[in-house]
Amino acid sequence: MIKTLGLEYFKIRRKKIWIMIMLFLGVEMLWAFISINRSIASNPDQAIWESVIHTIASMNGLFIPILSAIIVSRICDMEHKGSTWKMLVTTNVGRGQIYSAKYICANSLLLYSILAQTLLMVVFGLIKGFPGAPPFELLIQFIGGTLLTTLAVTALQQWISLAIKNQAFALCLGMLGGFIGMTIGLFPAAVRHIFIWSYYMDLSPVTFLYDEHSSSYITQTVGSGLVVAALIMTVIFYVAGRIHITLKEI
Amino acid sequence: MTTSAIVQTQKLSKTYSGLNPVNKVDLRVQEGEIYGFLGPNGAGKTTTLKMLLGLIKPSEGTVKIFGESLNKHRLSILQRTGSLIESPSYYGHLTGLENMKIMQRLRNVPDKNVDEALRIVRLENQKNKKADQYSLGMKQRLGIAMALLAFPKLLILDEPTNGLDPAGIGEIRELIKSLPARYGITVLLSSHLLSEVDQLATSVGIISEGSLLFQGSMTSLREKGSTTIYLKTGDNPKAEQLLLTQGYSPAQSESRLGFNNLGDANVAEMNKLLVENNIPVTRIEEQKKSLEDIFLELTGKERSL
Repeated sequence: MIKTLGLEYFKIRRKKIWIMIMLFLGVEMLWAFISINRSIASNPDQAIWESVIHTIASMNGLFIPILSAIIVSRICDMEHKGSTWKMLVTTNVGRGQIYSAKYICANSLLLYSILAQTLLMVVFGLIKGFPGAPPFELLIQFIGGTLLTTLAVTALQQWISLAIKNQAFALCLGMLGGFIGMTIGLFPAAVRHIFIWSYYMDLSPVTFLYDEHSSSYITQTVGSGLVVAALIMTVIFYVAGRIHITLKEI
Repeated sequence: MTTSAIVQTQKLSKTYSGLNPVNKVDLRVQEGEIYGFLGPNGAGKTTTLKMLLGLIKPSEGTVKIFGESLNKHRLSILQRTGSLIESPSYYGHLTGLENMKIMQRLRNVPDKNVDEALRIVRLENQKNKKADQYSLGMKQRLGIAMALLAFPKLLILDEPTNGLDPAGIGEIRELIKSLPARYGITVLLSSHLLSEVDQLATSVGIISEGSLLFQGSMTSLREKGSTTIYLKTGDNPKAEQLLLTQGYSPAQSESRLGFNNLGDANVAEMNKLLVENNIPVTRIEEQKKSLEDIFLELTGKERSL
């Protein structure tokens, strides 16, 4: 397994995936920090750690599905382009093993991105002089929730990217996911929970509460039901994709 | 050379929506031979080879390679098998050498194999170029090098000279010819080119419309080409009458009389008989069936190879 995973990293050299990740991350963080700066300027009470966690979590609903679609597509498309999938499966390495290696590779790249995001949030908070020490418990919950949602999203993306040669489908799905992730807050919870892309916000430890006169950030305990739902979706997308791709005739 | 079967299929069939691109094929490839799998385009060659590698699942029948069932020992069989199916596979954004390194890690073979395989296909000077920048022939060579990398016991090549220029075709043919003796590799290659199989193979299987029509050594295939003697005389009807009374069975063919499988003595005797009866013999011709004629006779169709 380590050998096939190492090969996936070897194969993505010159694919400029790192540049793509940095660009996406840069744009997202810049947008988020400008937006938080503005809200702090109009309401200094919002200069708290919760504001940055909530803003980034809601923006992840837009950015990570698209970034995930791009990364997974780059990792899978090279097998279509050079007809290398048939070459790989005629070696003595199992198809399932190659599928798993690709999944781990894509998610590890996205994990780097999530960790870099968290680090930038801490730096931003310290620069802005948010009260108190960085809330590591909330940040760990943020990382966990984002990663869990990403695991399900990449499982779905990988299935589509390997099953359909034309990567336009996979990229469209990523964009559709980003659109849903961005607008899902407008829908009732029952509808929201059907779509995996809404979990970037749902699994966030901070939410934004509106009442008649004011609005504020509050920390929330993420329900175990949502975590289980995200896990089930991950397993379904991964197992269904793996079975479909490994049994597919070439 | 031993005579154990390296590849053996039994009633191997593939059905797609009621059609049988491969129909009850009993393939038998002996160790150490170069087996030419010959057939027109769309005859079922690639589908058969894909089933041998487990790329597609047979609808019926069994595959045994190295005496082991492909169903049960797929990975162990693939470890000892190299292949190039349809077009060459490569990562275009990586160099030739990097492509080879990927296969090296998958096959778990030493560095010297990479150098040796690149040298054999004469790509050692182009190894640091991206595969996307290779010509079609160079990509084909890279595909062959990757298939050869582990110097497997069985090498399956699907149309290996596709895309190569005449000089390249010659080189690859020489290379394939040398593999059994030099590295102990059994080669199973498919081709739609009769001349290629004729030059390379020691055994041949002819497939058409999914069915295996002939299987055996090249010598036994050539033996199927019987000779016909054609006589042209000044009076063919009279000559035919005379020869019929003498026990010959001439067949009128255009302005000639044809005789199958006649020995030299019979030809001399017929000639003498006709001359003695004042029938001038103007021409005696011998025609032997070419491999192409045999192929067309086997497939029963006048179709292009």
